[in-house]
Amino acid sequence: MSAQLEIRGLSVVYRDAGEERELLQDISLDLQRGEILGLVGESGSGKSLLCRTVIGLMPSRSLTMTAGTVTLDGVAIHDTDMAGLRGRRIGMIFQNPTSHLDPVMTIGKQIAEGLRHHKRLSAVAAKAEAIGLLRQVGFPDPGRAYGSYAHEFSGGMRQRAMIAVALACDPEILIADEPTTALDVTIQAQILRLLIELRDRRGLSIILITHDLGVVAQSCDRIAVMRAGRIVEEGEKRALLADPRHPYTRQLIDSHPTMTHAGDEPAPHPHDRKPIFEIDDLRVHFPAGGGFLTPKREFQALKGVSLRVWPGETVGIVGESGSGKSTLARAILGLTRITSGQVSFEGHVLTRDPKATLKHLHHGAAMVFQDPFNALNPRLTIGETLAEVLRTQGETPAAEIETRIGELLDMVGLERSYATRRPRSMSGGQCQRAGIARALAVNPRVIIADECVAALDVTIQAQIVALFRDLIARTGLTLIFIAHDLAIVRTLCERVVVMHHGAIVEEGPSARIFARPEQAYTAALIAAVPDIDPDRPLNGGQTTLQQESAT
Amino acid sequence: MHRYRFILFRPLQFIPVLFGISIITFVLVRLIPGDPARILLGTRATPTAIAKIRAQYGLDDPMWMQYLYFLKNLAAGEMGKSTLYKIDVLRLIATRIEPTLALVVMGVVLALLIAVPFAALSARRQGGLADHGVRLVSTAGIGFPSFWLGAMLILLFSIRLDWLPVSGYGETPVDKLQHLILPGLTIALSLSAVLTRSLRAGMIAGLSSDVATAARARGMPENTVFWRHVVPNALVPTVNLLAVNIGWLIGGTVVVESVFAVPGLGQLMVRGIFSRDYMVVQGVALTFAVATVLINFAADIITVALDPRIKL
Repeated sequence: MSAQLEIRGLSVVYRDAGEERELLQDISLDLQRGEILGLVGESGSGKSLLCRTVIGLMPSRSLTMTAGTVTLDGVAIHDTDMAGLRGRRIGMIFQNPTSHLDPVMTIGKQIAEGLRHHKRLSAVAAKAEAIGLLRQVGFPDPGRAYGSYAHEFSGGMRQRAMIAVALACDPEILIADEPTTALDVTIQAQILRLLIELRDRRGLSIILITHDLGVVAQSCDRIAVMRAGRIVEEGEKRALLADPRHPYTRQLIDSHPTMTHAGDEPAPHPHDRKPIFEIDDLRVHFPAGGGFLTPKREFQALKGVSLRVWPGETVGIVGESGSGKSTLARAILGLTRITSGQVSFEGHVLTRDPKATLKHLHHGAAMVFQDPFNALNPRLTIGETLAEVLRTQGETPAAEIETRIGELLDMVGLERSYATRRPRSMSGGQCQRAGIARALAVNPRVIIADECVAALDVTIQAQIVALFRDLIARTGLTLIFIAHDLAIVRTLCERVVVMHHGAIVEEGPSARIFARPEQAYTAALIAAVPDIDPDRPLNGGQTTLQQESAT
Repeated sequence: MHRYRFILFRPLQFIPVLFGISIITFVLVRLIPGDPARILLGTRATPTAIAKIRAQYGLDDPMWMQYLYFLKNLAAGEMGKSTLYKIDVLRLIATRIEPTLALVVMGVVLALLIAVPFAALSARRQGGLADHGVRLVSTAGIGFPSFWLGAMLILLFSIRLDWLPVSGYGETPVDKLQHLILPGLTIALSLSAVLTRSLRAGMIAGLSSDVATAARARGMPENTVFWRHVVPNALVPTVNLLAVNIGWLIGGTVVVESVFAVPGLGQLMVRGIFSRDYMVVQGVALTFAVATVLINFAADIITVALDPRIKL
């Protein structure tokens, strides 16, 4: 049987100002009719570029396809009318539906646009067809969704809309570029299920680009692993996951914070001393809308949260976006105005004596942020950034700052030469290490890490988690680790706090929470994490969907 | 439709704004050096005659009392009597507002007609010859003063080519339109330079945006991608830029009306200043200020209509 889509010997070269780099090298790949092919690799491996090349939408003019052919049903597609092919025979969905949907055009019109262009439907027929599509991808009220704009929907619904746009003209192939990366796990599970369902119903062939082996294991039939512009390994899903041949594939599998290893959780922390953080009935409300002569409304980001954190403990705070976990972190560091309740740090009450407590916090607590690039000042070298913190803190004599910077870089596993580098010339993982070094510079007793590995590749994630584990063992640091990724929290944290809609729904030792969650929400969250073992199917998401439609 | 509810509430905010404007214009006008009574009566006026005029127009009262009279008259629909024209300023403004209004509308419409195609040409061939040309002209356009530009246009189109009238304002609508083309173009040329630059930047960003990529990925032809997705998104910031420039544009009509002898508010203002006609200067300044407030209000409504994400 010949493949539906055949890529043979494809190479793409980047040329700019005399510089020449081969970004894709001699790639050959087949997509069979009706299969879901997982294209896995870390950032910069060329997986997105490969798919963009296939549909002739190179992201830059400096890129050229220098060799190779792509054939669709035996016809070389770069010779044919590319624009007639896009949308009509090959549809594409993207990682960020928010930026890819036109903000000033209704969702319905974006679907109808393709139908009218490719299928020459009348306005009325296109609208009817578009509403049917919106129903198929799971909009409860497709008629209303047709006239709505992207910003009126949640991230998951926007991705559904994007899928409807891509499927409008009934393409045979769907290219999905990291379609679930920006979504919460429960929503991710729903979208993956939708893709599988659409494949079954329409006989669609799907190329699913992802960095997450768990996603691939749960949804694909075949896997191709990419690294540095090459396909290093390709094969049937189960065979490849069970017996990876290439060392890089093995490394990817080993780095994956899989859910299957029960009993690996750290033992609960002894609560024998006075808590370092005591949070009682903390409420944070933000003004939402309202203004001159219009009624003021507020959004309750935290609705009465009480929590204790003991010295040396590692606490994971998990929850979906909008659950209030970042607000909690900001509030206990005094970065957000507290509406009511009490926060105390080592006996200093933030809400009673803010000035003294803040001073104490600045010397005892530090934060590591999600986006390692933007959290560092681009104009300063890493050494200057660290020196600034050391000088401000004022505990290191000027003469010793240099030595101290060296020590800090050693601690986070960066070479000392990085002191003279700027964030721009460093990778995401290196920047995050620098961010951690900056946090360590104040000699903190607590580090609050807010989604600090979410933007990193799995292998780098594993390294950063190992770094934290090492720092805790060596320095007795207290770590509050905020993440949406339950698998990482499970392996790193002694205690887990689950948040939902601004409140804590459940907390307890990691082993207990993951083995026997008491709340339905926690169970749904855990079940939605795509396991790297294909035989542990996705069963999450369903409950939240029911909850959502019930509310 | 709750996004449009601000149309009902916003005018309430105008009250303090207009109050402030009235105080500022009132005080500023009185800072103009010179005695209006003396100017009205000429150099050979007797001190008694001057005193009589001063008393008649309330010029001897303290400034705060003059302001209260001004407010009281305003409430009654009067802006005070012009010392020069001997009629109420409000009636005077009513007869002069049409040419100015027509001029501003003409200027904005022409500016958009110039800016949109040029920005489109420039953005779609970024780095090409057309792009360099448009950028050069628009940069130069910002630099040319309107009095010079106006004079050059008269020289070319009225005197050399004899296509359009030199100056003044007509009687019939067609006649009026012909008279407004050159002054409108003078305003439009400076304004379109600013708009072109903003639109071009927005269009260039839009062409490489995710929205455009997604539209191309569903097979939309490049023209559709551009006019249906890129342009509407680029227009939103341009409307705001236009609103910000409206004050400057109104100031521009003062100069342009003088150059082309258009009998509008700008010309009235200039005459008022030269003859120390407080009431006229004050009335026109107030009208301009109110117009600026209303135009910004209109721009807000347009922005909300163009961008469904914006709530005011």
